[in-house]
Amino acid sequence: MGRYILRRLISVIPTLIGVTLVIFMFQRLIPGDPAVAMLGEHASTENVARIREQLGLDKPPFLNRDALAEGDLAGFFDSQYVRYFGRLLQFDLGESIHRRIPIAETLKERFPATVELALLAMAISLLIGIPVGILSASRRNSVLDSTTMIGSLIGVSVPIFWLGIMEIMLFAVLLKWLPSGSRLSTGIVIEPITNLLLLDSLLTGNWAGFWDAFKHIIMPAVSLATIPTAIITRMTRSSMLDVLQEDYIRTASAKGLSEKVVLFRHALKNAFLPVITIIGIQAGSLLAGAVLTETIFSWPGIGKWVYDSILGRDYPIVQGVTLLIAVIFLVVNLLVDLSYGVLDPRISYD
Amino acid sequence: MTEIISESDVLTDFAVREHRSLWLDAWRRLISNRTAMLGLVVVTIFILSAVGAHFFWTYDAKTDLDYSSKLLAPTLRVSEGSTEAHWFGTDKLGRDIFRRVVHGGWNSLRVGLVAVAISLAVGGLLGLLAGFFESTELNKWESAGFMALVAGGLGALPAWIARQNLQIVLFALLGVVSVLRPAWFTGKKWLRTAAFAGLGLLIGGLSGLWVAPAVGLVCAVTGLAIGLVTAKPLNGKLFSDIVMRVMDVILSFPSYLLAIAIVAFLGPGLEKGMIAIGVVGIPIYARLARSAVLSVTQKEYILAAQSVGEAHGRILFRHIVPNILSPIIVQATMGLANAILSAAALGFLGLGAIPPEPEWGAMLGDSYKYLSSGAWWAVLYPGLAIMFSVLGFNLLGDGLRDALDPKMRV
Repeated sequence: MGRYILRRLISVIPTLIGVTLVIFMFQRLIPGDPAVAMLGEHASTENVARIREQLGLDKPPFLNRDALAEGDLAGFFDSQYVRYFGRLLQFDLGESIHRRIPIAETLKERFPATVELALLAMAISLLIGIPVGILSASRRNSVLDSTTMIGSLIGVSVPIFWLGIMEIMLFAVLLKWLPSGSRLSTGIVIEPITNLLLLDSLLTGNWAGFWDAFKHIIMPAVSLATIPTAIITRMTRSSMLDVLQEDYIRTASAKGLSEKVVLFRHALKNAFLPVITIIGIQAGSLLAGAVLTETIFSWPGIGKWVYDSILGRDYPIVQGVTLLIAVIFLVVNLLVDLSYGVLDPRISYD
Repeated sequence: MTEIISESDVLTDFAVREHRSLWLDAWRRLISNRTAMLGLVVVTIFILSAVGAHFFWTYDAKTDLDYSSKLLAPTLRVSEGSTEAHWFGTDKLGRDIFRRVVHGGWNSLRVGLVAVAISLAVGGLLGLLAGFFESTELNKWESAGFMALVAGGLGALPAWIARQNLQIVLFALLGVVSVLRPAWFTGKKWLRTAAFAGLGLLIGGLSGLWVAPAVGLVCAVTGLAIGLVTAKPLNGKLFSDIVMRVMDVILSFPSYLLAIAIVAFLGPGLEKGMIAIGVVGIPIYARLARSAVLSVTQKEYILAAQSVGEAHGRILFRHIVPNILSPIIVQATMGLANAILSAAALGFLGLGAIPPEPEWGAMLGDSYKYLSSGAWWAVLYPGLAIMFSVLGFNLLGDGLRDALDPKMRV
């Protein structure tokens, strides 16, 4: 197991380097000069040149062949990419062009908002998806089953930004029950501990704060949960259907075990592996920031941040956040792979 | 005597099933499936209305503007001073939403088809080749070409450093030689390795020295490394590994974010959106095609084709492709649904179709600011249009999966 983890970790390295290359090239390919973006259109040529030098933009992108031709071996590696990579190794993501604030600092505020939203959405989809999937598999071809199947297909077909808008229209504009944006009402203060507002307000016993935060998060969480719920339901159902045809399930039923025991103790355990894979993929994409949901609900998470930054051409932010997201994806994939061994002892890693 | 023969004829007739092709079989299963039929009907309506509107119902988005009938609620009656009933109401510029929704279908259809075509052509082909060469020995000429590509590609680095394009050719030749003359020094393995490493060192070092001593040093080192690579001719597994690694890199970005980034790079517009969505979809088809090929290449009929010496291209396109078509058709149908959804998302974010072009996502993005004034119809109908067309393709894809599943064939 230990050797397998090590091997998987090593196999992630080339992918990670590929990711940094893509992110780096993205900045190079996008039209427009970052130095000009920083100083504005009317900056003098000397100022632009000075900033370019400061940012290392006067260096070649990958390798410095001119320095080498002059006999400077060390200068050969003095390039933008090598500098960028070196900064990454020191966990330096750079700073925002427009606001001149280190990206890591803003990330500390923004990332918890996304995590909180993702966790709640994941919880909703697990609480609905798995039980409904099990039930509809156990009552195959019943009305409940066909309703579930059609419902889950609608779930993956509905554009979530549209669903979000409809929710806002119904609950915020017409009924005025729920607020339509941001994480908290003005005037409500929750003492930060983890920056997950629901958790923090519970820890400090701040019930008014909890209720307010809950009212803000529920609409985005529900619309974000739509697709994962539909996918998890379908996966649970089809995986359960496969398992329910096995001989040991018939044996268990023939022994006279109750349906509940057969479903949950015998079938679910064996049907869970493909479900875990799907959950992992969905969790990864939720944590990666829901650009659409966060934009509609003005949720101050990383998805909206990266979208705003693309529009505002603040590329260090785009680079930094995209890298973080890609790393999350890779880590989640790794965790899913490793969980197989825990869930199914028959899988060995050699 | 004659009677007996005719009787046995009847018997065989009875035993032999009526001849039906594979596709006819699948079609019959498809139309006997109620939800799939529903999907087929929705998709047909969608395609007919989109194509019909585009060719027979003139609409000029640039001149469509009428402030006097701005934000009218949906009605089935023709209101005063108007020539037509606004079934779906009008938007902030007084444009008939029904007309724009129907015309928007044409754009969604185009995006879906082009994006899927891009992902399928690039991803499918890459996956096909990756899967095939991973499980099949390359023949001599394929290996030679492959090694020329690998060695020449690696040789591009020292060639770039020294500004000598000739090096690429020399390294490519070294790659070809390593395949076509495998007998060189085969008696002693290390001797062959040393010989090729030395050749690489010479090619890089000598031509680098021509420029400057430091350049010569660096080129010699890279040349040595390339020589070591060429010493042991590589097999198709490497090709597959490289392709799948690149796919992994694409997959480690969330699809929406990647599409947004590509559009930011290309500039907004429906055509750019098609490309972005198409590129994002490439890895899905590559993985699917590769795994399908891998599951097929060990089947008896492929081994038989190989043992009678059929050419690789023929095996690939006559024997393998037809047998992996079903999962790809299913994925492409679902892919159409996904592409329509992604295009709408891009349009909603203002990165897809450029206004006033009628596009469902852009229409939503345009109108949702007017929600507080109660104009629910301006966001309801484009959204429903997206949902139903996507649902149609998803239902159809689901039905196709059941219909094409070879396990169900009797």
